[in-house]
Amino acid sequence: MTRRNYATVNPCVMCQPMGSALAFKGIENTIVLYHGSQGCSTYMRLHLAHHFREPVDIGSSALSERGAVYGGRENLKKGLRNVINRYSPKVIGVATTCLAETIGDDVPAIIREFKEEEGIGDDPEKDIIIVPVSTPSYGESHVNGYIKAVNAVVRKFTEKPEDEDKTEGMEEKSPGMKEAPEMKKATNGKINLIPVESLSPADVRELKEILAEMVGDYIFLPDISETFDAPLKEDLPKIASGGTSLSDIADMPNSRASLSLGVVSKNLAVEYLEACHGVPGHNVPIPIGLSNTDRFFTELVHSLGCPIPEKYQKERGRLLDSMVDVHKYLYGVKAAVYGDPDTVFSLVTFMLELGMEPVLVATGSKSRDFEERIRLLFGEIRPELVPTVLDDIDFDTLNDMVKKCKPEILIGNSNGRYIAKAEDIPLVRVGLPIHDRVGAQRILTVGYRGAMELLDRLTNTMLEARDTFTAPLQAHHAKKTASEPGKEQISEGIL
Amino acid sequence: MKENARIVNTLKERQPYIARKQSMEEGIIPLSCDNNSLAGAMSQRACVYSGARVVLNPVTDAVHLVHGPLGCATYTWDIRGAKSSGVETNRNSFTTDMKEIDVVFGGEKKLTMAIDELVELYRPPVVFVYSTCIVGIIGDDLKSVCKTASEKHKIPVIPVQSEGFKGNKSDGYKAACDALKQLIDPGANERRNKVESSTKEEKAEKKPKINILGDFNVAGDVWLVKPLFEKMGIEVIVSMTGDSTAESISRAAEADLNLVQCSGSMTYLAKWMKEEYSIPFIKASFFGIDDISLALRSTAEYFGCEKMEKKAEKILEEETRRIMPEISRIRQRVKGKKAAIYMGGAAKALTLIKGFAELGMEVVIIGTQTGKKEDYEQISYSVRDGTVIVDDANPLELAELLIKQGADLMVAGVKERFIAYKLGVAFCDFNHDRVVEFEGFDGFVNFAREVDASINSPVWKAVRQRTLEPAGEKPAYAEKHLPQILKRSEQLETMKTTEQGMSRKPEMLRKTSLQAAQDSGVESPV
Ligand code: SF4
Ligand code: SF4
Repeated sequence: MTRRNYATVNPCVMCQPMGSALAFKGIENTIVLYHGSQGCSTYMRLHLAHHFREPVDIGSSALSERGAVYGGRENLKKGLRNVINRYSPKVIGVATTCLAETIGDDVPAIIREFKEEEGIGDDPEKDIIIVPVSTPSYGESHVNGYIKAVNAVVRKFTEKPEDEDKTEGMEEKSPGMKEAPEMKKATNGKINLIPVESLSPADVRELKEILAEMVGDYIFLPDISETFDAPLKEDLPKIASGGTSLSDIADMPNSRASLSLGVVSKNLAVEYLEACHGVPGHNVPIPIGLSNTDRFFTELVHSLGCPIPEKYQKERGRLLDSMVDVHKYLYGVKAAVYGDPDTVFSLVTFMLELGMEPVLVATGSKSRDFEERIRLLFGEIRPELVPTVLDDIDFDTLNDMVKKCKPEILIGNSNGRYIAKAEDIPLVRVGLPIHDRVGAQRILTVGYRGAMELLDRLTNTMLEARDTFTAPLQAHHAKKTASEPGKEQISEGIL
Repeated sequence: MKENARIVNTLKERQPYIARKQSMEEGIIPLSCDNNSLAGAMSQRACVYSGARVVLNPVTDAVHLVHGPLGCATYTWDIRGAKSSGVETNRNSFTTDMKEIDVVFGGEKKLTMAIDELVELYRPPVVFVYSTCIVGIIGDDLKSVCKTASEKHKIPVIPVQSEGFKGNKSDGYKAACDALKQLIDPGANERRNKVESSTKEEKAEKKPKINILGDFNVAGDVWLVKPLFEKMGIEVIVSMTGDSTAESISRAAEADLNLVQCSGSMTYLAKWMKEEYSIPFIKASFFGIDDISLALRSTAEYFGCEKMEKKAEKILEEETRRIMPEISRIRQRVKGKKAAIYMGGAAKALTLIKGFAELGMEVVIIGTQTGKKEDYEQISYSVRDGTVIVDDANPLELAELLIKQGADLMVAGVKERFIAYKLGVAFCDFNHDRVVEFEGFDGFVNFAREVDASINSPVWKAVRQRTLEPAGEKPAYAEKHLPQILKRSEQLETMKTTEQGMSRKPEMLRKTSLQAAQDSGVESPV
């Protein structure tokens, strides 16, 4: 195995501003502007366009040598002016790239200045709201960029002026330390739903549908279900339609509860809403798989006191039925899973429920709690299994570990294809980026339906890989088993 | 001199970058170009680093190490689609993944260690070290780190000064050429000169040698081009940089002639080789029958060898005869269609004009990210009156142009693809993303087939009706309006640019391909 301490080979994460774009793009009439040089924004647009197969416009303050030396104030203002001029957005999310952070521009101050010069106020009804978020990539990954941007948006629209110093510096710290505010009475009867990681448009659509049927009224932030998967219509709007409405965001403090999807990373927005607006926050894992979806529904039932609609009982029944149908195919199948921490957490839960053996569980993000969370999960469900759990990895490390752990199937984004090819292991594509196959925006993993789709994909992939139908596969199989004793368990007999 | 009339609705500062080709009497229109992109204008350009990376990335056995934060490397991992016939070290993404601590205390040490590790692991014959924006700010001394590493590992470790903010993509091309210079072994030139000054017989023995500059072997292009020269008795030492290796590049100075295809990126290197090693260069393109013919003929002519000229004619004759039936078939299906070109470099844009002419198509929009003044002059000579020429366009401008100019097909890269699709315009990727060769004779057939497939797909017919209005109530939109929408001048009038974006109402939808083919009275320019 290779030891590297200084060089990263084939990165397994994206940079922080990318996460912010994934969040900002889920807000109505919002345009993203990166403060930095031109390249970063073009690269990220390319990356996103490739994945979602949609036009993706992200502005840049296009810092040049002068800007980099004397500060980017003028460029940023000009960028804002031009973006407003051309796109007439309601919101501009301004994320910093490494360059802007390194030269040390005070972005909030520049924005204040800009607003004064242009006479822009703070009224979402008539003013353009500019939301800055600091996202140096040498600090953290896209996962944090996403959480930060969502949090910044919620604060911008809900912060009362008197809150400002109360919550100063709260961004990084847990608000748990603050004296609990008096719990207010909920006024709008809605539920806030805020994932900690970017889900696919199909996932968001599914969750919205569930909420609409269960709760009736909800606020889902950020909602990329249309902005990143737009129907072909007669017009091409400058800013994709859809996204969480601004009035909804402003209304979040009045909701009866917030549901955070994700348990590994901290959901800053949910914590903030609880600490400063008294909206009780509940954390559930991203509802991938049976038990996670059960928990999601249970939480909704508890907070809302409404029954689970018959439709979902049936869906659940169908999922159980399919789990029974395929249980032998997946039993004992060794898997390697990689991706964003919470997605991986939920995927692993599902695999354990199916009797699979996730031997390698990894995330490219740096995460303090990832390993602990995963180990706890194994402890609960399959204490006899001892998986390799890694955070902050690159694909080269993952490749080494794949060689060592010998999974039979890989689950993660399309950048794992090199490993899949080199090691001759099938890859089930989940996550971002997926550049080498179509349909990334339609990959459904959440809810009972998502679980069924995932289940089918996993099973069919294994069936394809083991192909018991054609003769040459036996040779293929023999090759595998020969190099790997102990593999006999997956011999043809099962099928 | 006429002022640039407002062709599209865009920022005032962007207006000088968009012009319409007019008839000679009306005078030449000035087009601004070759400047830094405007803040907030959503340029489609990337950065200096990207320019350097795309040029060097196809060097297959090099370690391409990006010194900077991780993102710059993440997004450029295996981005080029350049094929290799040997090792594929270049398909990895190496980065120093600078962290806060490196930004504060400097990244030189980490860089040194990273080079050590990678050399140890991959044993490359060369390492390219790219600097990114923040490296330029914190001031790491790339040169000295690379020099030390070079001495230590006894391989060239070449700094590529490509801080993203220090210029634009063209500056990256130059940085890449500067890196390539360092790989070229002057000894190779001496060998060549020795042969030159030797006896007549020895000269006659000698096989003429060329380099191809500016072919990146995307989808395997070079493999369709090299054999043509080999058949003519010419040795292609190296294609820079498609499917090249440190070793093949080092022999570049043995050549008698350089053929420059991607002039935007490689003219600088060609000029340098001319000065340094007195290797002359000619511009060439291997796309389209016309340009391939020109390339082979002028190469043969340069060597002044009758045998070779004859051979070239024979190849051209045979190959053209071979592919012509297919080209003619497709030409029937696409002639009269209007094409929009938006490319990174001008050379490709220019050769595409000819290529479309060969298919009987006409170019109505042409733009580049990095074109220079001379390029645009040449472009304006090559296109018809009325064609819109644009530099460093952005999505909104492109969308509006596609509609106003009534384009049927766009040729560009991934970011533009989805703009075209949303507007119901066919699309062909001539960038890193394509999976089939477009160069050489068979490549041109591939191109023609792709153009045909995209323009004539029945999908466009389906998407003309974008809302379902069940029969019995109202007749479907498109049906109702079709007869009256055929005149393009009308389309221009009905084009609406609202505050919210582009609107392509059914009355602006274009004819079906069939109708267009029928009533296209335009004879092709070839
Ligand atoms: S400089 Fe930073 S923000 Fe820009 S691409 Fe690189 S890592 Fe991402
Ligand atoms: S940081 Fe600089 S070098 Fe890196 S992608 Fe951005 S503009 Fe290019």
